[in-house]
Amino acid sequence: MTEGTARVSEEADLIASSVAGDLDAYDRLVGRYQDRVYQVAYRITGNHEDAWDAAQETFLHAFRSLPRFRGASAFSTWVHRIATNAALDMIRRRPPQPPASLEGVTVSTGDDPAEAATRSELQRRIHRAIISLPAEQRVVVVLRDVQGLPYDEIATALRIPPGTVRSRLSRGRESLRQQLADLAPAAGS
Amino acid sequence: MTMGHVTELLSAYLDERVGADERARIVAHLNACESCRAHLESLRRTVVMLHTAEPVRAPEGFRAQVRARIEAQPRRAPRALHLPRWIGSWRTAGAAVAVVLIGLFTVNLLREQFPSVALRRDREPQGAVPAPLPPSASVDRAARAPELSAPQAGGFPVPGRVGAPPIPAPYSPGEPALRRVIRTASVMLEVDNLNETASRLTRIVEAAGGFIADSSYAQAGSTPEGTFVLRVPAPRFADVLSQVESLGHVQQRRISGQDVTEEYVDLRSRIRNLERYEQRLLALVDRAAKVSDLLEIEQELARVRGEIEMLTGRARYLDRQVDLAMIQVSAREQTTQSGGFWDFSGTLTKIQTAFLLTIRQILRAAEAMVVALSALVPVLALAGIVWLVVRRVRLARGV
Repeated sequence: MTEGTARVSEEADLIASSVAGDLDAYDRLVGRYQDRVYQVAYRITGNHEDAWDAAQETFLHAFRSLPRFRGASAFSTWVHRIATNAALDMIRRRPPQPPASLEGVTVSTGDDPAEAATRSELQRRIHRAIISLPAEQRVVVVLRDVQGLPYDEIATALRIPPGTVRSRLSRGRESLRQQLADLAPAAGS
Repeated sequence: MTMGHVTELLSAYLDERVGADERARIVAHLNACESCRAHLESLRRTVVMLHTAEPVRAPEGFRAQVRARIEAQPRRAPRALHLPRWIGSWRTAGAAVAVVLIGLFTVNLLREQFPSVALRRDREPQGAVPAPLPPSASVDRAARAPELSAPQAGGFPVPGRVGAPPIPAPYSPGEPALRRVIRTASVMLEVDNLNETASRLTRIVEAAGGFIADSSYAQAGSTPEGTFVLRVPAPRFADVLSQVESLGHVQQRRISGQDVTEEYVDLRSRIRNLERYEQRLLALVDRAAKVSDLLEIEQELARVRGEIEMLTGRARYLDRQVDLAMIQVSAREQTTQSGGFWDFSGTLTKIQTAFLLTIRQILRAAEAMVVALSALVPVLALAGIVWLVVRRVRLARGV
């Protein structure tokens, strides 16, 4: 609780300093959010090249727009909104490309090469399934199930009604369930 | 079973994002429907799998590049940061603009309303005093008194030097004090109480150093009337007049100023000539040898003396008229209910007055509204433009 409050107030300080032109403060904000933003960009665009560009664009845009950020929503919601828009822009500009491999990003957690391969394969399947979703469902699924944002924040970030979030999420998950049906029992058992 | 109905809700059910009714329905259905239970389980596993999706991290160098690109941007940071901060909130900016516009509008409206009041107030005294009377009229004349060569004590002021008899007193417009104007005013007043008015008139006049030259009282019909002739020192004329007018409702006012400068100057020069003639005659008396001559001269002297006296009297009269302005006041008590049982015409008049008054007020209100609206039109147009611009800017920025 206190830690969370301290974190929020520290974040507010960082934002205020960034608005005043303190690049170090903004650099720390970037450090705090870069993984989340990059992940959104990557899951939506589907490849690292576009994810990089979209995430870069996100932080540049955020820096320019920071003075207009009035704290109506949480900073993370705001950043997620910008990231989502940047990624969707990227998709619109470049037609969907065949999903790239996850090599290089997959963090090997075990020494067992077989297990690592299985994990890698699983990750690839998941990623490919997400990419296959229509953009509007994909965005909601990424924000909810990958990023773990609550419905309200998703609705705020995407500027759509919570009911729409619910229905898009439902359709997206159902589609994923069918695609990953063969993996699910394995994961569950 | 109606499996399709609940499948759509299962996702939300997982997240506890269903209403109490839906929840009850889902739970009931799940208890009964095997396939839906399986579906829910499968969905749950999918979601869990998504949660376990390995977090993708921003690649090395990502943060550094963000910083590098921001630093590479044209250093318009301070302006871009400070300006929006200041105007930043569109709501604040809009409020400020609105306040300014409303302020301007109000001032305009007040200006529209006020001059009429101010002018009316200004106009009144101006009407009361047709020409500003130099209060120093008599003083000035007294100052010039030493110049007089007139032998009579309390003699008349001679505006010009005694050198050029036919063209006396070279009048220069720069010396209005030499103008001799007889001021008269007649005022018709409607007052509440005639007796009180009479005593207050007396007080006013006495305070001004004047007197009531004449007063009469008459009761014609139901309304008592009084007439007063006030004489007040010329310098106090305007002052007294305005005081008098404040006693009641002015129904009629006439102010006149009779310029007698010319006549006065003419009188003066004729007197002076006659006096010189008299002097010469007196000198002749000493030298007269014959009695018949002496008699003739004496006769002529008497005639000249008489003429001088006459002219002097006329000049004195003018002096007095100029020094003491006259205000004629006729005061009438306000028409009260006549003694009869019911004053029908009085009631009729009141009805008419009230009716007209209301109509006039309605018209005035309508006029004020039209004026106010027309004054608002440019403001509204401007506000509309500002709003459109703001909207476009906001849309363009996508914030």
